[in-house]
Amino acid sequence: MTLALFYLFAAILVLAALRVVTARNPVHAALSLVLCFFTAAMLWMLIKAEFLAISLVLIYVGAVMVLFLFVVMMLDINFESLRKGFWRFFPVAGTVAAIMLGEMLLVLTSRYANLSAARLPEPAAGFNSAKALGKLLYTEYFLPFQLAAVLLLVGMIAAIALTHRQRKNTKFQDPADQVAVKAADRVVVLKMEAEKPAHAETDTTHTGEKA
Amino acid sequence: MLQSYFPVLLFLVIGALIGVAPMVTGYVVGKVLGTIRPDPAKQSPYECGFDAFDDARMQFDVRYYLVAILFILFDLEVAFLVPWAVVLKELGLFGFTSMMVFLAILVVGFVYEWKKGALEWE
Amino acid sequence: MMELQQLLQLPLQLMTQYLGTDLAFVGWSLLKIVCVIGPLMGGVAYLTLAERKIIGMMQIRIGPNRVGPFGLLQPVVDGVKLVLKEIITPSAANTGLFYLGPAMVMIPAMAAWAVVPFYPGFVVADINVGLLYIMAITSMGIYGVIISGWASNSKYAFLGAMRAAAQVISYELAMGFALIGVMMVSGSLNLTEIVEQQGRGIAGGSILSWNLIPLAPLFVVYFVSGLAETNRCPFDVVEGESEIVAGHMIEYSGMTFAQFFLAEYANMILISAMASVLFLGGWLSPFPASIPVLGAPCFLWWVAKVAFLLFCFLWFRATFPRYRYDQLMRLGWKVFIPVTLVWIVLIGAWMQTPFSIWK
Repeated sequence: MTLALFYLFAAILVLAALRVVTARNPVHAALSLVLCFFTAAMLWMLIKAEFLAISLVLIYVGAVMVLFLFVVMMLDINFESLRKGFWRFFPVAGTVAAIMLGEMLLVLTSRYANLSAARLPEPAAGFNSAKALGKLLYTEYFLPFQLAAVLLLVGMIAAIALTHRQRKNTKFQDPADQVAVKAADRVVVLKMEAEKPAHAETDTTHTGEKA
Repeated sequence: MLQSYFPVLLFLVIGALIGVAPMVTGYVVGKVLGTIRPDPAKQSPYECGFDAFDDARMQFDVRYYLVAILFILFDLEVAFLVPWAVVLKELGLFGFTSMMVFLAILVVGFVYEWKKGALEWE
Repeated sequence: MMELQQLLQLPLQLMTQYLGTDLAFVGWSLLKIVCVIGPLMGGVAYLTLAERKIIGMMQIRIGPNRVGPFGLLQPVVDGVKLVLKEIITPSAANTGLFYLGPAMVMIPAMAAWAVVPFYPGFVVADINVGLLYIMAITSMGIYGVIISGWASNSKYAFLGAMRAAAQVISYELAMGFALIGVMMVSGSLNLTEIVEQQGRGIAGGSILSWNLIPLAPLFVVYFVSGLAETNRCPFDVVEGESEIVAGHMIEYSGMTFAQFFLAEYANMILISAMASVLFLGGWLSPFPASIPVLGAPCFLWWVAKVAFLLFCFLWFRATFPRYRYDQLMRLGWKVFIPVTLVWIVLIGAWMQTPFSIWK
């Protein structure tokens, strides 16, 4: 059953990955990538890495690909013109891909990797991968964990530095000021002596108001 | 463990079926009763009675990307918080402090965003 | 109670007898899924009627009352009407993606229910990381909106989709941070365990031991973010019928439109169910266990809590005017995220002291 599911998901993953590079429409390509991540999460689930599998969906499908879709949908790029040089660059790209494939094969088939003998350990009953991860990450791997924070900080600052432009001459309201406003800032209530002009009584009759 | 996930997979498949079923029903009923009668005016994009001036896909304010990028970064922060929150009772003071340092570093970034006005929507 | 449990296991035993263990497991899972989706669909249908009735009463109108007694057949007739409506495919649209959109809205709204517990043991899939699964699946709901907005190739639809995307991801963050607080105090991602944990504590399993009281700010953030996630009033700038005429749904008609509608209401029920499970103790009774009958945990408590929260959804719609878009983004980023962060730190520090109530 697990094996059948593995081949099913693997087939979907490979097909979706092919669609990512062959799709004419960039939105189709981005959506194929979403499918890729989703099936990859399914595969991770099959090797019983439940926390990582669902985190993959949460972060890559739920966050990263939303940004990708934003970019391909909103940037008005003419993708046909980008595509034109495809066959011209194909030999170089193909060579690079072939070298990478060769290197990976060399590593994976070497004695040191010893993949044929490797077996995934069977998790014990009641094993909780989220808890196991938590116990290690925040104590034993303290420093790498803090480095991750620094990395995120750099990402934040870089994103703002690259994309944030203070627009000149825009007219906008500051909601914080609006919420903080008090009646006293807008209306001044003056205490003054009542004044009665001589014709006051005749004026009120004209307005037709009845109390 | 995988056995407890099988119903989830089944649920996803059935959810997909339910996601398609109403449209298929509507289409089949429409074909049978002959209510699907396309004409050019009906099929044009809605634009308050005008013909559409140009393609609806336009360039957008870069601000939307900024929101999306910041969302990814904070979503990662949430993902880092999850295993910590689950084992907090067993972690002890060191684990707690380690996360406080992590949060402090990220709060620096948050304050920077705030002061730079990246969170303003003008 | 024991007899009831045994009675409910009866179909599984029968199936095991005739189909063998594997097929029986598949059949049993299917049966459970039908038992969740069936009432959910009924709930969605009658929530639309409840919305019209309740808002009608709040505005001193009668609401639908012509079809059947008290208008009770109204959802059925609405359904028939939507099936009979023509499905229009705009000529400028990308046809494939145009129909993928409504399906992608519907799938997460359904699939999230796989891990929602109704009573101990009454859950389709009792997985270790249930809460994370809910977060992951609901974060996929945004795709349907973006895809349908883009594929429609209409300006209003595109504007609506972009607004929706920015709004939903902003509030998803606040929601995620609020959920971290729940995970901290319960020390688990399993939803059944999260509810059970709320029945323990010094208050001894009454309303006082629910997460509601120590995590009150997180509950408010979660529920209000839920309003924004489902694009309900007062955060419905995505539809904004007076400015962008229903946003991403504008080009859809008949059953394709109905799917957006169904998914929105299914998501409302999901948000209410999750708020009830995470903060209001799910099936636990608000009374101390020492009181007979009233103090016992019961599925009906779960229903009552969900119904109350759904009423709040409708109540807010009838009460609040729509937020302006900049105010909405400010609320998400500048109010909710700092509030949740501060509360997480406070609760975390509290748990380090000897006065922690979550041992």
